[in-house]
Amino acid sequence: MDAIQLRNVTKTFGGAAAVDDVSLSVPEGAVYGFIGPNGSGKTTTMRMIVNIIYPDRGAISVFGDPPSVRSGIGYLPEERGLYRRMAVRPLLEFHAELRGGRRITAEINSWLERLDLAHCATHRLETLSKGMSQKVQFIAAVVPQPRLLILDEPLTGLDPVSADSIRSAILDLRRRGTTVILSTHDMHAAERMCDSIFMIFRGRKVLDGSLESIQRQFGDDTIRVDAEDGAAVLAALPHVEKVRDHGRIQEVRIARHADPQEVLQALAARTRVSSFAIVKPSLEDIFVRIAGPEAADPLASQSSAAAASAQAAAGARHV
Amino acid sequence: MYRIFLVARRDFLAAIRSKPFLIGLVVAPLLFGSGFIALAVNKAKPDIAERRIALLDRTGLAASQVIAAAAEKNSRQMFDKLTGRQLTPRYILDTVPVAAGDPDVQRLALSARVRRHELFAFLEIGRDVLDAPPPPAGTEKIPPSTRVDYYSNAGGIDETRDWLSGPLNDGLRRARLARLGVDPARFTTLLAPASVQSMSLLSRDPRTGEIRAAHKRSEVEIAIPFILMMMLAMMVLMSAGPMLGAVADDKQQRVFEMLLASTSPFELMMGKVAAAVALTLVGSVFYWVAAVFALQSFAMLGLAPWGLLPWFFIYLVADMLVVCSLGIAVGSACASPNDAQHLAMIVMGPTLIPLLLLMPIMQAPQGAFATVFSLLPPFTPLVMIMRQALPGGVPAWQPWAGLTGVLVWTAAVTWAAARIFRIGILVQGKTAKLSEMLQWAIRG
Repeated sequence: MDAIQLRNVTKTFGGAAAVDDVSLSVPEGAVYGFIGPNGSGKTTTMRMIVNIIYPDRGAISVFGDPPSVRSGIGYLPEERGLYRRMAVRPLLEFHAELRGGRRITAEINSWLERLDLAHCATHRLETLSKGMSQKVQFIAAVVPQPRLLILDEPLTGLDPVSADSIRSAILDLRRRGTTVILSTHDMHAAERMCDSIFMIFRGRKVLDGSLESIQRQFGDDTIRVDAEDGAAVLAALPHVEKVRDHGRIQEVRIARHADPQEVLQALAARTRVSSFAIVKPSLEDIFVRIAGPEAADPLASQSSAAAASAQAAAGARHV
Repeated sequence: MYRIFLVARRDFLAAIRSKPFLIGLVVAPLLFGSGFIALAVNKAKPDIAERRIALLDRTGLAASQVIAAAAEKNSRQMFDKLTGRQLTPRYILDTVPVAAGDPDVQRLALSARVRRHELFAFLEIGRDVLDAPPPPAGTEKIPPSTRVDYYSNAGGIDETRDWLSGPLNDGLRRARLARLGVDPARFTTLLAPASVQSMSLLSRDPRTGEIRAAHKRSEVEIAIPFILMMMLAMMVLMSAGPMLGAVADDKQQRVFEMLLASTSPFELMMGKVAAAVALTLVGSVFYWVAAVFALQSFAMLGLAPWGLLPWFFIYLVADMLVVCSLGIAVGSACASPNDAQHLAMIVMGPTLIPLLLLMPIMQAPQGAFATVFSLLPPFTPLVMIMRQALPGGVPAWQPWAGLTGVLVWTAAVTWAAARIFRIGILVQGKTAKLSEMLQWAIRG
């Protein structure tokens, strides 16, 4: 059974479509990445799944039923906020009881230990650091263990150690059967953690599928180069469309149907090349191609992209 | 229902342990009763500075009688008979000879003395006051020669004028009697006023058939309707004001979105309302117990309006549901607690308006104005409870008709408030206009 199904869902605010005719199926037990630029419709989509706002058109189901407070969805919104004057443990008990209908002290204790918050269980929220509060809010979203967990930017603002502990906790929840929707601007985290990626742009779905299928869809047009004076030399080469300079190495996108061997020969003729590899485009690169300032309007070119998508591996949909 | 209970329990426990609630429990009655407190303080430490009044007697006969009547009143009222403590100022009336020429020149000179605080005021008794027949009722223009003019610089309620009214009229009557040749020794008896005692009505005991005797109405009894109304208003305002700001603050702190994954907006709102109602009930019980102890200590427990107790709590709960739902709806539509304060009048209005119209209602509680006003649902709780507590009460159907209206009104307001709340809590960064709130309420 799909954990979530959206069928032609549309939501407008003041005449502008925040989400426009979006359909999506999230299989049970998956970690599904929601990506898209700010204001693209991610949060609106998630709020509709959680039933905080209702779609104007279309239908949503969670585990086969219309979403409701009884769906048992764990939700960590992007806007962080908890009752500041409450102590950590009573606050978590309140949230757990509200969603689960019972007190679950043992599970709360276990999470507090795991995220290194046991020592401040009796402290008021207002006395905690921002990162600690964020971890408390994460626990509030996952106790009792939900069937569906929706996380909007769970890693933002966390130090690397805390971020790693949250990442590991998310993957553990998935292993224990929780379906996870992970909205993030951290493309590396999305690449590493998500089984599938859903990208929304200007309210419309523009990507949906596994990372591999999406990367295949965008072709073998990316080259990673380590060469002297790389960026300057690469920009002048024929067939090179875009150079992203990462300092020691450069990522180059070449024209569709261009031969990478020709690029290598041209490069070698101009400078000393230490390494040259044809790689799959990163999620970040794909994101920039779709939503960056130099991107062609992905919504205008939907039909051509859809045709390309059809040739891509099964499961990948670039709409 | 269980989620409403959970939200209510959290809010109730958070509020009842807070200092503002405990301080408010003590401070609110002091604020609302500040007028009575000021009166009590004034009574305990009255202004007893001597007040000198000049008497310009154009009749040539009345002055001495007026001065004698004033002296009698001074000796009768100035001191507490048991303790001997001075309670009122000594009023000293001095005759001023009538000057020849333009009377305004003399009036101007006396006015200057009042301004210099040599005099407190001056009285001018018209030439024909002793002979003129009483003017017909409603006469606006009484000729100066047949009236008494009181000149003073005192603003507001001038108690000296009220004090003088008795001895002045007494003096004039004495002067008239003296002209008729009545023995001055009989003046006091002839002019002695009768005391008017306010009494309750008699009734018959429905069980025994015995006639229940009337009892003397005390000041406390007369104050009970007012106290009941003020207590209800105080409890509502004490909860509704903070509620508005608290919701706006929670919204600013963004605590609602996460809760909405586990509870519906209606459950969340009703949980908050239930907590506020519970807090108010705790406060009300506290005040009722305090009032019972106070009445018992003054041996006036029989004056407690026990029959109105159920109505008091029914109206209190209904009014709280309306005012708190409105408060939550408006608070949710505000961007910050400051903005919420600006819109507080919308929420407080139904409670404040009856307080402003208190006097006309108390003067004619059975009149058309008071009756219609008490049947308008937003005002029913405060106005009806007061009318019910007043002597004579109200026809039996009126409280029930009022309650029906209140219940319908409460359901409608709560429903609309829930719709506003559902949208308002997710709108960040701007305070909604009233027209927008109305749209949310209608369209959802």
